[in-house]
Amino acid sequence: MLNAFMPQLLLVLFALIMPALDYMVKDKRWLAFVALTPLLGYAFALASWTLGGYWQPPSVETGVPLIEVNLFSGAFALAFVAVGIIVALSSPEFIRNERNQGEYYSLILLAVTGMTVVALATDLIVLFVGLEIAGIASFALSGFSKKERRSAEAATKYFIVGGFSSAMTLFAISLFYGVSGTTEIAAMGPQMEAMFSSVDGIRSAATLATVMLIAGLGFKIAAVPFHMWAPDVYEGAPTPISGLLAAASKKMGVAAMFKIFLVGIVVTKTDWEVAIAVIAVVTMTVGNLIAISQSNIKRMLAYSSIAQAGYILIVLPIGTEYAVAGGLFHVLTHAFMKSGAFMVVAALTVRGIGESLDDFRGLGKRSPFLALAMMLFLLSLAGIPPLAGFASKFVLFSSAVDASIDPGPSWLVWLAVAGVLNSALSLYYYARVIKKMYMEKGPEERVTVPTMTGAAIVIALVMVIVLGIYFDAVLELCREAAGSLLQAIP
Amino acid sequence: MLEYAWLIPVFPFLAFLLISLLPKRTLSWEDGAGYAIGGAAGALVLSALVIGDVLAGNTMVGDGPKFTWLVIANLEVTFGIWVDQLTAVMLLVVSVVGTLVVVYSGGYMHEEGEKRRRYYAEIMLFISVMYGLVISDNYLQMFIFWELVGLCSYLLIGFWYEKPSAASAAKRAFIVTRVGDIMFMAGIIILFKYVGSLGFDNLFGEDGIAAVPNDMMILATALIFGGAIGKSAQFPLHEWLPDAMEGPTTVSALIHAATMVKAGVYLTARSYPLLVQAPETLLFVAVIGGVTALIAATVALAASDIKRVLAYSTISQLGYMTLALGAGGYLVVYADTAGGYSAALFHLMNHAFFKALLFLCAGSVIHAVGTNDMRLMGGLGKKMRITSLTMLVGAIAISGVPPLSGFWSKDEVLAAVYNAGEFDSLFFLLWAMGIATAFMTAFYMFRMWFMTFAGKPRSDYHAHESPKLMTVPLMILAVLAVSSGFALFVGDGFGVFAGESIAGLYHGEHHESAVDILAHIFGDPLTYVSLVLAIAGIVLAYRIYCVPGFDRTVFATGTAGRFQRALQNRWYISQFYDDFAVKVVYAFSLVADAFDRVVIDGLVNGFAFLGARSGNLLRKAQSGNVQRYTTIIVVGLCLLLMFMLYIAPGGWW
Repeated sequence: MLNAFMPQLLLVLFALIMPALDYMVKDKRWLAFVALTPLLGYAFALASWTLGGYWQPPSVETGVPLIEVNLFSGAFALAFVAVGIIVALSSPEFIRNERNQGEYYSLILLAVTGMTVVALATDLIVLFVGLEIAGIASFALSGFSKKERRSAEAATKYFIVGGFSSAMTLFAISLFYGVSGTTEIAAMGPQMEAMFSSVDGIRSAATLATVMLIAGLGFKIAAVPFHMWAPDVYEGAPTPISGLLAAASKKMGVAAMFKIFLVGIVVTKTDWEVAIAVIAVVTMTVGNLIAISQSNIKRMLAYSSIAQAGYILIVLPIGTEYAVAGGLFHVLTHAFMKSGAFMVVAALTVRGIGESLDDFRGLGKRSPFLALAMMLFLLSLAGIPPLAGFASKFVLFSSAVDASIDPGPSWLVWLAVAGVLNSALSLYYYARVIKKMYMEKGPEERVTVPTMTGAAIVIALVMVIVLGIYFDAVLELCREAAGSLLQAIP
Repeated sequence: MLEYAWLIPVFPFLAFLLISLLPKRTLSWEDGAGYAIGGAAGALVLSALVIGDVLAGNTMVGDGPKFTWLVIANLEVTFGIWVDQLTAVMLLVVSVVGTLVVVYSGGYMHEEGEKRRRYYAEIMLFISVMYGLVISDNYLQMFIFWELVGLCSYLLIGFWYEKPSAASAAKRAFIVTRVGDIMFMAGIIILFKYVGSLGFDNLFGEDGIAAVPNDMMILATALIFGGAIGKSAQFPLHEWLPDAMEGPTTVSALIHAATMVKAGVYLTARSYPLLVQAPETLLFVAVIGGVTALIAATVALAASDIKRVLAYSTISQLGYMTLALGAGGYLVVYADTAGGYSAALFHLMNHAFFKALLFLCAGSVIHAVGTNDMRLMGGLGKKMRITSLTMLVGAIAISGVPPLSGFWSKDEVLAAVYNAGEFDSLFFLLWAMGIATAFMTAFYMFRMWFMTFAGKPRSDYHAHESPKLMTVPLMILAVLAVSSGFALFVGDGFGVFAGESIAGLYHGEHHESAVDILAHIFGDPLTYVSLVLAIAGIVLAYRIYCVPGFDRTVFATGTAGRFQRALQNRWYISQFYDDFAVKVVYAFSLVADAFDRVVIDGLVNGFAFLGARSGNLLRKAQSGNVQRYTTIIVVGLCLLLMFMLYIAPGGWW
């Protein structure tokens, strides 16, 4: 088991030495490079395994199955680590005037550690531990700009609401333990069924646990009505951290939900599928509607990622392998397009340009690269071919249509309709930013691109284009990954 | 060698990238002409190697390398290459004419300055995608390149987009061919529905053909031929081609005479395994071809713009090829010979050379005189010796005088149509139309030549011969116009060679020696009918337009006058489209516009208003107060619990 945990141990090790290193280096950029080392190593290992199949990860040999290394966890871990790389790469310029930079990177590494633990977990307790590691690291990260009031406020809110949600998640886990007598996700289903048939009325307890879980994890993925913290936190947190929260932390919630709902409590699917479908539709609609009236780009992106969470949530009621592949695919593409968009905002902040939508006026002239990158990220978020967002949305929505025919139920098709209508709606506010960048007149002076942030943007940009054009290979990986998740259903 | 055929389009494409992306100063000579010539020549060399391989008997039909583009469920989209004798003919045409036109452009476009860069970029893109079109191994890939050549055609017709006539001609060409494209697409969708694949290997195989019901095969092939009607400017969608003459003459020569307009003929020939399953479609193809050949030839009689004469002539000759393909299908089905099919390809190849020659000569004339109007020319023969002589070669070739190339292929075409008459007497009528066309072709071609080069100048100009860069390609093309017809006698003969690409459809062509072929041609009285008519056309043109003293005003009065006006107005077809477009379509679009404004816009604005409003309302809930947030979480949680306990299990779905 220790073998399988090697990458996490490495990440923690680096996280521990970062603060000490802070005292040793003068040029703080080195901290970022040191922090990138384990991330890049992990990413390389994951990519050469999942994409190339050049080696096999060590199997987990233990009496109590707590974690499992399979393609599903691999794909999620890859998304988390990739976002970690993009965030770490663009941070030095953003936080160059802050103190204690070592701790900043240390917290990023810990957050990524927590997320990957969630991806690996096959046990509710391990999963919860992962959620908490990542959660606590991100509370601290969002308050990192101590001199800024918004940042401190964001951290406080995030912490309070987060604590509330953790409590509910834990409550849900304990209730599930009560109805199933196990915390092993794959074993929950059969045990629950046995319990239902022997103990009268206990199904209601399972329902209560499910509601608690929806609330607890709904907070992580910012599903309506558990989303209200997100815009405030995304706005207040240092911009690279907003990217981390939107592109990775949220996906951690998705990973947890996929595992618990599609494997653990899939036996009670009829109880929760309608409720989750409603939440999904409401989440995407509310996210998009409020995004329209935002004037701050970070808040707009926050609402946009609320909407994106709605899109991903439709996977749960659909539940087919193709749908899970679509959800996974969207997790991957969203990780790049959303973090990319946040990094463009970060690059502008580094150059002293504000976060208001009006600050984007004339950006096409001032910095063709940043404007082009932003445009492609936004178009990808809206789902315009041939960018990545189109491919993953296509798979996601078509899975709803497919499933409505077989295996049913037929109302699933409305999820696709809602998704498509919402995508059309979202184009409005994405296009508005593009219009401001290219069609409106703004200040004249050129904006230079910060080198490292620029590199991070290039990575995200390349991925957004490559995933869109070669979506075939990625979709294949996602299907295999989805298969490896669903095969755990007893 | 064949497996490297995919590299052919890569060369011109690289040239396209270099010309469009390199900094201006590195382009040096003629703003990129050097790169363009290099790209075209690279493709020419590779094409020559591939053609050599095909001549040696190798083909790659369905067994070539495939690149999987995407897989959706059980739909697999692959890109691959398909090289057979038909491909080789097209490769020959595209590579030779393409290279010569690019060289010629070095002189012709000299005065365009900055615009040359755009010109060379676009022309290289065109050449690249044209190669892509002819080596495609499935209909989807072909359709993609089909649209791309259409795009390049649009861009190059509108090269002088600041001229309103050029801009509208470009639009017209694009829209009219699009009508055909939609039919093409509908056709391949039908095929896909039944066969589940668009690869030629699957569609043309026995299983593929058996999978399509007969009536659907007729519909699908007719629709695919609809694409050819648009692209090859067949009646009734032919009117875009004369307008396309607004582009530079080099573009007319390359795209609108030698290559792109042949794509329709190529598509029809490529679809032969399907067409022979549907004789109804074959008859339709033949009728369209015959009508096109005749109508276009009549309009060419009265045109005064030198390029329009050539444009209508091109349409007419494309009609010949289509007619030969239609008749050839009958021959394959009923007479077990590929005579018509190979005649069409033979004419396709010969026509590409002599028509490109004629266009480039016209370009040379226009370059010198500065006008397209033949009424203002005259007497250029002495000043432009090379141009006039090479153009004369082209005119003789197209008129069908032996031993130049046009004679051989036109004779083969007409013989095939006549032979098909045995199986459907309609072909006798079509043959008569073909013969009439042959007469008119000879007449209008020499009318053009005499009006341009003979007599005295009819306006004030100081013409001089064009530079070497332009005349050398003319001379090369003149040699080809003379000699390409002899392909009939080389080796096994062109007929056997071309027939091999549809070898599965009939039981093999017997090889004839050159003497036999000659005896065959000149032993047939029909040969002399067309020959005599061609000579008569030339003589008539000489009498009317060269020998002084003929009173041409008789054409302008009485019945002849009405006839001439009808011809000058292109049989009012163009006018009909304009009227139709203006009255019917415009009325319809007004209604659609009103609907769009009132209903759709109303809905959209309403929703936008509603959206923004509700967004604002929802935003109010976002107070920034963390107690409020947790309250909402708890309320949401309770609602959710009630929903799941009391509503959802009851099932109101």
